[in-house]
Amino acid sequence: MPSYNLYMGCSVPANYPNYEAAMVRVAEALGMELNYMEGVACCGSPNLRAFDYFGWLVVNAGTIAIAEKNGYDIVTPCNGCFGSLKDVLTHLKHHKEDLEKVNVELKKHGLEMKGTVKVRHIVEAMYTDIGIEEIRKKIIKPLDGVGIAIHYGCHLLRPIEVTEFNPEVLQKMVEVTGAEVIDYPLWKQCCGATVLPVNEELAIRLARDKLKSMKEAGATFVTVVCPACGNQLDLQQIGLKDSYGEVYDLPVLLYPQILGLAMGMNEEAVGLEMNRVPADPILEHLTE
Amino acid sequence: MTETEERTGPPETLIEPIDMSKLDPKFRKEIHSMPNAEELSACFACTTCTAACPIANQWNYKPHQLIRMILLGMREEVLSSKEIWECLTCFQCQERCPQKVKVTDIFFDCKNLAAEEGIIPPNVLALGKSLIEKGQLYEVLNDWEREDLDLEAEVPGLNTDTIKEILRGTRTGRLVGGEK
Repeated sequence: MPSYNLYMGCSVPANYPNYEAAMVRVAEALGMELNYMEGVACCGSPNLRAFDYFGWLVVNAGTIAIAEKNGYDIVTPCNGCFGSLKDVLTHLKHHKEDLEKVNVELKKHGLEMKGTVKVRHIVEAMYTDIGIEEIRKKIIKPLDGVGIAIHYGCHLLRPIEVTEFNPEVLQKMVEVTGAEVIDYPLWKQCCGATVLPVNEELAIRLARDKLKSMKEAGATFVTVVCPACGNQLDLQQIGLKDSYGEVYDLPVLLYPQILGLAMGMNEEAVGLEMNRVPADPILEHLTE
Repeated sequence: MTETEERTGPPETLIEPIDMSKLDPKFRKEIHSMPNAEELSACFACTTCTAACPIANQWNYKPHQLIRMILLGMREEVLSSKEIWECLTCFQCQERCPQKVKVTDIFFDCKNLAAEEGIIPPNVLALGKSLIEKGQLYEVLNDWEREDLDLEAEVPGLNTDTIKEILRGTRTGRLVGGEK
């Protein structure tokens, strides 16, 4: 059974425990051992990187150093955490002088980062380590004919030399559930979450642009693999009724919720009632 | 683009002249020495970054102009611009740059320099304060939601002491402390 260091970050446990519950259950059913990391907290997000680059390096190098104690790869369900940890790991592997400075700080906390573990998104770990064929064997309630638009999230895709994430991975993970992946023009575009603190109106416009593009392409569902993107596309839909006079009714499911349902888990097990836009159509489909 | 109003002034191609006496020739070297800015001067202003940017249409300074402003030494204008803080960090500009200029990373460098000089939007500073005081950007407030899903009420393994101590000793601590 493959074992991992599970890094939750702050947003999923606080705002999206449904994502956490669905992920934990699906991983268990797939035979993955997820061990919650001890002694870690927030990654700081791109915001910390913006105003305190060195602090951001030290905090994330500290998380990597803790994972190196047992040597298992880090997996995370959050694109923000994934981007921060992987960027810091990549930077420090290529800049030994910065690694030395960071380790001077980490030593004060009894830690040292060497760069011996990998940082991975949970979806990529499922795809690579379990494999599509094994996952296919567990699908008992296929989502045949359901059109799903994938929102990957910027920090999963870019910069590619840092994230090393192939979009096909998530595409195949959706297709294995029996669902149809809906192509839409703005698939690479940002959800707007990062600009929320400085320009909310702009953030809402970006979420709206994405939803519009997905809906027009014929999607009935959206899937995301990041709590910040999920928040933007799900929660902001409620406000779009007032600000734009537009109603999208596009349920936004965290990817493990979709896989869990297709694997026969019930709506409580994947925490579907916490999703803001009601996901009723997918349940109707499953009970047909 | 959604600009439909009739133009009243001169065409947009005529911009305010740049005051040469205010240019800081050291600025480009300053940025160049920061993380991932090695290719800064390879920019030939092709505007591909601006074409890739989903929000450039509402910026006064477009991404390619900001890069040019850095090269020219327009330190004050760049570091006090709202644009660097509105950058989505979506990395589309950086992905498409034919000259491998790491545009998004360079904007991160600009924000770090601005923050060092105390220029930081209040809502972003508030996030720094949250990291120093709580060690997190989000805290579990509704632990019953977690229990309903058979998750532990408190996040297993969570320890906020290390991050708080680290950030008290770096720029975050200075910025948040300086606010009092």
